[in-house]
Amino acid sequence: MTTDPQPGDDASTADEPGERVQTDGGVAHEDAAEDHDDHAFPPTSTVKRWFVTTNHKDIGLLYLVTSLLFLAMGGILALLVRTQLWVPRAPGTGPLSQLAYNQAVSIHGLVMVFWFLSPFAFGFANYVVPLQIGAKDLAFPRLNALSYWLYLASGVLLGVSFFQGGSFAGGWTMYAPLNLPTFTPSVGGSSAILALTLFVVSVTVGSVNFLTSIHRMRAEGLTLRRLPLFTWTILLTVWMMLFAFAALLAALMILSADRLLGTTYFATEAANGALLWTHLFWFFGHPEVYIVFFPAVGVMAETFQTFTGRRIVGRKWFIAAMVLVALQSFIVWMHHMFLTSINLQIKTLFMATTIGISLPFDLMVFALIYTMVKGRIRFKTPFLFSFGGLLLFILGGITGVFLGAVVLDYEFRGTYWVVAHFHYVMVGGATALVGGLYYWYPKITGRMYDEFLGKLHFAVYFVGFNLLYFPMFVAWETPRRNFAYEAGMTTWHQLATIGAVVFGASFVIMFYNFVKSAYAGEVVGDNPWEYSSTAEWAVPSPPPLENFPGLPSYGSGRLEFLTGDGESAVEAGSTEQAADPAADGGGTDRVADGGVAAGAGELESADDDHHESHASWWPVIVSGTVLLVFFGLSGFQNGEFGGGTMGTVYAASTIVGLVATLGAFVGMASERFTGPRGPFGESWPFDGVDNTKTGVWIFLASDVVLFGAFIGAYVFMRYSVGWTGWEPIPENIMPGLINTYLLLTSSFAVVLALEAAERKSRWGVIASLATTLVLGLGFLGNKAIEWQHLFHEGLWLSTNVRASTFFLTTGLHAAHVIIGLIMVAYMIPRAWNGAYLDDNSSVELFGLYWHFVDIVWLFLFPLFYIL
Amino acid sequence: MTRLKLYTAIYVVLFVSATVQVLVEQAGLEYTAALAIIMVLSFVKAAIVAGYYQHLRWEPRSLTYLMGIGLLAVVALTVASTYSIT
Repeated sequence: MTTDPQPGDDASTADEPGERVQTDGGVAHEDAAEDHDDHAFPPTSTVKRWFVTTNHKDIGLLYLVTSLLFLAMGGILALLVRTQLWVPRAPGTGPLSQLAYNQAVSIHGLVMVFWFLSPFAFGFANYVVPLQIGAKDLAFPRLNALSYWLYLASGVLLGVSFFQGGSFAGGWTMYAPLNLPTFTPSVGGSSAILALTLFVVSVTVGSVNFLTSIHRMRAEGLTLRRLPLFTWTILLTVWMMLFAFAALLAALMILSADRLLGTTYFATEAANGALLWTHLFWFFGHPEVYIVFFPAVGVMAETFQTFTGRRIVGRKWFIAAMVLVALQSFIVWMHHMFLTSINLQIKTLFMATTIGISLPFDLMVFALIYTMVKGRIRFKTPFLFSFGGLLLFILGGITGVFLGAVVLDYEFRGTYWVVAHFHYVMVGGATALVGGLYYWYPKITGRMYDEFLGKLHFAVYFVGFNLLYFPMFVAWETPRRNFAYEAGMTTWHQLATIGAVVFGASFVIMFYNFVKSAYAGEVVGDNPWEYSSTAEWAVPSPPPLENFPGLPSYGSGRLEFLTGDGESAVEAGSTEQAADPAADGGGTDRVADGGVAAGAGELESADDDHHESHASWWPVIVSGTVLLVFFGLSGFQNGEFGGGTMGTVYAASTIVGLVATLGAFVGMASERFTGPRGPFGESWPFDGVDNTKTGVWIFLASDVVLFGAFIGAYVFMRYSVGWTGWEPIPENIMPGLINTYLLLTSSFAVVLALEAAERKSRWGVIASLATTLVLGLGFLGNKAIEWQHLFHEGLWLSTNVRASTFFLTTGLHAAHVIIGLIMVAYMIPRAWNGAYLDDNSSVELFGLYWHFVDIVWLFLFPLFYIL
Repeated sequence: MTRLKLYTAIYVVLFVSATVQVLVEQAGLEYTAALAIIMVLSFVKAAIVAGYYQHLRWEPRSLTYLMGIGLLAVVALTVASTYSIT
């Protein structure tokens, strides 16, 4: 028996050559010189395993462990903050200096929001989503490993920033102009921002991967309507991530340019510079609230169903509400800006949209409550945490509605009301995620945690949480981010500090429980929960490397593992379905969440000729080299590396890092690596587009937002100083027009390359790609000459904001051209060896990117040269 | 072969319309009119490149919607933020 695609098995296989040699962005060698030793997969007991693994379950574990380390880091910073707040302090007194306090507050926020919450959720997502959708792995396993290692690298850089003259001290929102070197001059300040930039890169790679996987690789019969709720929340999370983080990337790139190169976007003298930052940041920042909260909703939904024995009430409305929230999240961002200079009309509009977004949340909350009412609750630890999380979220959500009202926000903004509110929401979400940790612990380790210690953890946690955050509502008049407050509120702050210690200590119980149970816990079977209903509980704990004993299918209405001859070999044993099919959604939806369960049988998947790879050194190597680049760049200020030893170190790190990164990417692209391939059951809405092409398109969509945000920033700045008074920087239109011709022609050359490849003309491919390379180089050369002229006329990045937008936006485009040319330079020698004649998908994918770069220029040229 | 002819014709159209954009600016039209014509031309050109060179016309419509959503997001950001300026 085999899970291999049979000829004619699925019509889509024939049209999808990319899936036969799925190479995850890289290219498959045709020379079979390399053997499987390259991908020999060491056991989990070896250290090497954890550096080379690309398996989603390993990566999930790495995410979980690493994010918990960052939880500890953020927690220690928080305890420092709470210690300083024990009594109201005069500046310079107490355990922390003023600047140290500001750093502790800022980095606590950044670590918890970025390096703990999302990665913690994505630990579960990595582990569980492929199991729930019936896939062997994510679509691009090496990119998944790359996401993790880039995440770790960004966290290391953030840690290093403390030792570079102090880390960023301007608050986690990094408001302008505090975020500029004038006010936060330390090298560490730049490092923290670059670390966040690197984190965003990791998130983008991850989003593309998850979107491709969840949309394209679901088991037969697992339509979106039937998708388990945890996977639904992750799907919506990654959709929001794709667009929101692209806007943050634009904001951070502009900020980095302001700090390192000297552009003047956010400088005080430029009209509305500070306002531009708030727009870009909160356009990302509000979806971010749901990005960190949705996975918690997913855990709540799963655990509520499992521990009440009842399918969630109003499942499809629950899903519809989440989709609505995901969409609405992009049109509420200005409620974070009611005290900026935006006009009253737009404030009123955004107040309305903000109140509007609470409505679908109400529906979700009531669905969860009714599920408890209709089911029979079993108070196991995972349920306690989920239920506690729901209570905390309700309180956090209601107090947020106050802040959404313009008039009330005038009073509450910048106070501890805000601090208390968002901790109830964010840490409320984290509470449910901790429940997820208990819920999936037996699946991941194969052993059960200690139930008593789990319940004890919950009790201490819940008391500590409320002791910590509730007094903040009472002492709401305390100014946020400030260690001085009125003496009358001291008692409340002391209660909060005691609560913080209790809350922190509760995690010691959890870690003790988990470490002890990993060795001494009771061994569990496939499904330790009586009423679990998703596919991860139908496989052993922990699941085998390739997850399933056959090809998972829901085609018959229940989960089965199909064997090679097309007969259903094993019907996954089923637990009783507690759901009443008639009550909610009708019979066909009965097995909506996977139908499932225990006793999948001892079916061994027969070996076949398709070997998936699970090991690669390149992700960790690429991350290391990129870390060198980013570390080096942090020492770059006002267009130069400083003098002295450190200046040399930074310069060397940048240069060595760049060269090594280039080499590492070439190495990764040349590596022979086989990811999961089809046929996949359900691929809506990307049927007929192979995984890699889907991934490229999804990436390009995020690039649209990146460039769009740059162009939006330009439009915003230009409009704010008077549209028509703003002349284009280049007085001579000709270099721009010539570059337009060059780029259009190069695009046409790529079209010809693909045509030549289809006609199996080796020379045609080589000639067309070479033409692209020459024209691209011409474009860059022409631009260099133009920039040199402008420089000699006294116009450069830092001259004024008009010049800043010109050089930075067209510079970002030029960077895209350079990356494209590196790809062409890599492809030409391969074309020489006849690489693209049998499988021209690489040429096509490169074309997608290159034409996109062309399209961007079609807008930049008129905006920056003509108008 | 016909496909190649189509691609070539598109190349010519793109080449010419880039030139037209410059001529429009120099034609002495009212600024807003020139701005409108030039931007519309840019969007048309972008649609042609995406539709034909990137083959969106022959792909499932979902990919077009995907790009449309990205575009919509940044248009919302740009318009709303610019409108918010007092």
